[in-house]
Amino acid sequence: MDILFFKAAVAAYLASAVAYGFSLTTRQVSAARVATWFMFAAFLCHSMSFFALFTGSAGRVPLTSIHETLSLFVWAMTGVYLVLQLKTKTRVLGAFISPVAVVVMIVASVRLGGEVSLPAPLQSSLVPVHVFLSVIGEALFVIAGAAGAMYLIQDRLIKKRGKRSFSRYLPSLLDLDRIHHVCLMAGFPVLTLGIFVGSIWARTAWGSAWQWDPKQVWTLAFWLLYAFLLHQRLAIGWKGHRAALFSVLALAVVIVFFVAGAVFFPTVHRFA
Amino acid sequence: MKLVLVGMNHQSAPLEVRERMALACGDARTSLREIVLLPDVREVLYLCTCNRIEILAHVPASADAGFLRAFAAAQGGLSEKEAADFLYARENDEAVRHLFRVAAGIDSLVMGEPQILGQVKEAYRQAVRSRTNGILLNKTMHHTFRVAKRIRTETGIADNAVSVSFAAVELAKKIFGDLGGKTVLVVGAGEMAELAARHLIANGAARILVANRTPERAAALAKSFGGTAVPFAEIGRALQEADIVISSTGASGFVINVEMVAAALYRKKNRLLFLIDIAVPRDIEPNAGDIDNVYLYNIDHLQEVVDENRASRMREAVRAEAIIEEEVGRFRAWFDALDVVPTIVALREKLEGVAQGELKDATAWLAGLKEEDRRRVEYLATAMINKILHDPITALKDESADGGGLPYVAAVRRLFGLDRETQKPEGETPSTGH
Repeated sequence: MDILFFKAAVAAYLASAVAYGFSLTTRQVSAARVATWFMFAAFLCHSMSFFALFTGSAGRVPLTSIHETLSLFVWAMTGVYLVLQLKTKTRVLGAFISPVAVVVMIVASVRLGGEVSLPAPLQSSLVPVHVFLSVIGEALFVIAGAAGAMYLIQDRLIKKRGKRSFSRYLPSLLDLDRIHHVCLMAGFPVLTLGIFVGSIWARTAWGSAWQWDPKQVWTLAFWLLYAFLLHQRLAIGWKGHRAALFSVLALAVVIVFFVAGAVFFPTVHRFA
Repeated sequence: MKLVLVGMNHQSAPLEVRERMALACGDARTSLREIVLLPDVREVLYLCTCNRIEILAHVPASADAGFLRAFAAAQGGLSEKEAADFLYARENDEAVRHLFRVAAGIDSLVMGEPQILGQVKEAYRQAVRSRTNGILLNKTMHHTFRVAKRIRTETGIADNAVSVSFAAVELAKKIFGDLGGKTVLVVGAGEMAELAARHLIANGAARILVANRTPERAAALAKSFGGTAVPFAEIGRALQEADIVISSTGASGFVINVEMVAAALYRKKNRLLFLIDIAVPRDIEPNAGDIDNVYLYNIDHLQEVVDENRASRMREAVRAEAIIEEEVGRFRAWFDALDVVPTIVALREKLEGVAQGELKDATAWLAGLKEEDRRRVEYLATAMINKILHDPITALKDESADGGGLPYVAAVRRLFGLDRETQKPEGETPSTGH
């Protein structure tokens, strides 16, 4: 049952990405509206697939493998986007989010339905809370990064004073800055809480909250990066261009390190 | 049954002739009454603006546009030669295509301008009020409005400002989104600056500050905007409150330099600042545009935007023409179906279809009958259809022979749902005006 819903969700994400693309190239707002509904349908199917997994025979929280974590990441990102869409009416962000959702979901589906056996230390109720909070925090940072990237494009187009062919489709600078800010402001405490819960669990499982594990070190480094960005923004007034640039760069570094870390560095913080 | 259109626009006639025509336009209601009294005119629409005149009429198939041309010429005081040179005449498809192009703004001096659609709508309203409209005109006009709307949403023909002051407003929206709650600082008192400021206010700008070398002028302008006057020496301070600055003084040097902008930005914690410099020579030091979160446009930049927008509208017009071709085809299909012969054929087919369907449903029961009785039942059904159709068909033929068949044809098509299979019935009911 969960797999059926999962596949339906992937199909709906794909349909939404296609509709957003279509709407961008043909400038039909109605297509974007359809795309948003597809996105919403995908979100529902996706939620149902988690629910089915949770209530199904295995009865487990869907956070045990990297694939399920990716899937949860897409779910969180979509949820955040849909809320933003309701609040800000900037559908064009969906054109950036939906292809990411499709790709990550396809990666996540590689190990679909495989049997997962939980290692003993992970059978704590703190683990799902830790993963859930961290993933939502990261999803918010990704959307902040997407808004930042759009900001940089729009900023470039307006500064260059050239032919304004693409800027029409992008939201205004202030709206993008606002989305960026809201996502950072929400993402930071959520991620902080996620790390905090994780370290409590680590203390009980490994005996120490801090291991000098590469993944822990990087996570702390990123946390400091975003803390710095938020501080600059709130205290010194880093708005607009500089904040967007910093956010995009921070996200790029996070992604590179995440991928590189998964490939090259041994870590105790890996379970599947 | 035929549509004819006679008109004059900026391409067909020189300004001097258009002026004469526009002055002679007079009251649309009177003109409509005069035209509808002409022999052969069954329905008529009369559009007269300062740049064009269009008369659309429904006439019998045997008539031509000559008498409409004569009417327009007489009204505008044109000689016979002038009428032949400057007025154009179109029939049926051509007339409808022309009407679609006019309403969509493709035929206008400024490509895609929206006012003309309002004027066409008003002309139709006038026709409805004067009761010179009928089925054909209603249908044509509603189709026209739909096409204009479709072109507006599906092509970029009306997108992007084609005047400097509107281009400034559009840019402001690209930067700030909603202009509500934004503060505008107007420096100097150029006409274009004033116009741009008014557009910004119309789009929601909340606060207006006015700075001018002559305090009286500043006070007067501030009053007309409902804003506040600021001493010229305190522009630096006003800058830090402003989101948008429009400058157009006659000063020979820079009124706002980089240091002032940088200081203001620092004090307003990097909130975005949009500087519009429409003065020649320039008022704002060009390097100010290099500062983060500051967007500086001078008159040349805005003009470039406008030029590009004009060009892009021209490109979009090609797509609009394709839509018009498609819609003319659609109109043509409807128009042809209004003929009496296809209507009779369709009506007969519809009823025969019903009879065949019922006979088929009763197959089991019919099988119990003798061969002879079965044939008798089938004959009965056919005979009933013929009897029922005899009077309506005779009436349709008689009325259309007299040239007044259109309402009957339209009624039959509507009552028996004859347009349902071929095309969906069009959205609005044609008989109501706005």
